[in-house]
Amino acid sequence: MAERLNDEVWTAEELLERLERRDKFFVLDVRNRDEFGRFRIEGREPLPAVNVPYFEMLELGGKDEMVDSVVAYIEQHLANQLPHALPILSACAKGDTSEYVSQGLRRLGYASANLKGGMKAWGLHYATRAVVETPTLAVYQVSRPARGCLSYVVASVGKAVVIDPLRHLYPYLDLARSKGLTIERVIDTHGHADHISGGPALATQTGSSYHLHPYDAIHPIDVLPATLAYEPIRDGQIFSVGQHQLEALHIPGHTLGLVALRLDDRYLFTGDSIFVRSIARPDLGGKAETRAPLHGRSLRKLLELPGRMVVLPGHFSSLAEADDKGIFAASLDDLKQRNDGLLVLQRESEDGFVRYLCESLPRFIPEYVDIKRINAGLLAAGEDEASALELGKNVCALSQAYKDSSGETT
Amino acid sequence: MSQSFDKTLDARGLNCPMPLVNARKEIGKLEPGKVLKVMATDRGSVSDFQGWANIAKNVELVAQETESVDGATVYVHYVKRTT
Repeated sequence: MAERLNDEVWTAEELLERLERRDKFFVLDVRNRDEFGRFRIEGREPLPAVNVPYFEMLELGGKDEMVDSVVAYIEQHLANQLPHALPILSACAKGDTSEYVSQGLRRLGYASANLKGGMKAWGLHYATRAVVETPTLAVYQVSRPARGCLSYVVASVGKAVVIDPLRHLYPYLDLARSKGLTIERVIDTHGHADHISGGPALATQTGSSYHLHPYDAIHPIDVLPATLAYEPIRDGQIFSVGQHQLEALHIPGHTLGLVALRLDDRYLFTGDSIFVRSIARPDLGGKAETRAPLHGRSLRKLLELPGRMVVLPGHFSSLAEADDKGIFAASLDDLKQRNDGLLVLQRESEDGFVRYLCESLPRFIPEYVDIKRINAGLLAAGEDEASALELGKNVCALSQAYKDSSGETT
Repeated sequence: MSQSFDKTLDARGLNCPMPLVNARKEIGKLEPGKVLKVMATDRGSVSDFQGWANIAKNVELVAQETESVDGATVYVHYVKRTT
């Protein structure tokens, strides 16, 4: 058989491949409306989608069995909204109910696939891509595509530094094992608000050191010191990685302790400062007006670096920001020409830029306060609680980054 | 505080959508005014039973509670057939 993918069940990995290839398909999401509102499948381009909670299909379809109800519901209420020309991906929370929905769709003659493991599996999916891979230098981008979170492994002659590891450790441990790398250090570019850092746990598990700027070891809203062990990063500090070096550049703004990491004149790990499409918001510590001028000055400092340096950011807001290989990266020179925030920065005075920042703040996400507490060791969370706090896409960039990324909905 | 009920449906160990599918069948067999106690281990059943009770014309969600049975968390839904 030439067909590589199973047409009737898509894993999270296959979903990502199809999104990256810009395959055309339709999404029928049968979770509750509030869950759909918080977190949905998004592609490089808006995906056509419809949300009908499964219990509405069951009750309004009116049959005893789920598949029969799905068939009846679609015939009576949904047929005019579903395309026959596109595959319909059926998605629910964990992938069980959507299988019944998929069967119902197929019984009606639609081409339908079920998302295996549901939105839970999609939310937990990690992808690892090599940005560069030579014996003396390798950089891997480890992403969680559904959340728009990016992290990195920098390796040289068998030694590795992990930057901004995400909550699950297996992508880093698996990579280190398969490439024969010893993880020597774990660095968080800042105290994260949108996701739970895997940094302290990864450092403990690998016997390596955990590094954080001391300003981000204070919870910005509680104003309480972190209770976890860390080595304080200072501006200009050099971290060796095999034959290469990473230099920490303190660039306060998004947080007070944010650092970028510079790998020679080649790569710039920007954390939450410069992303590909947009720039980071300055208000997650609760003080947009006082942080915005700092943020502007830090960004101007980064723009003075060699323009050929490749920016490797901490987030993306849309898969459309990836290159052909699925990597989120671009040179500083390129971003000066097309990044929303950097275009304004280069055009505006300091005051004008501060005004732009303060007028571009997305909504504040209440969960972020607790996530920062967890990252400071001030609060503990089990797997279920952690998953609930991390549900959906990060909102760490300015509001412009989130326009027209979601699909049509009813 | 204990909620009175007339029949119990043990849906422990069943994945979504079966707790709700089975509860709906059982409710169909009850007389109006009677209450079905549904025990489920699927955490999502909490919001699903709420959503279902909101649109179903003949049921009322009387109460929901969480119990610990043999170390496992059990989500209990009391559903009354109204008409």
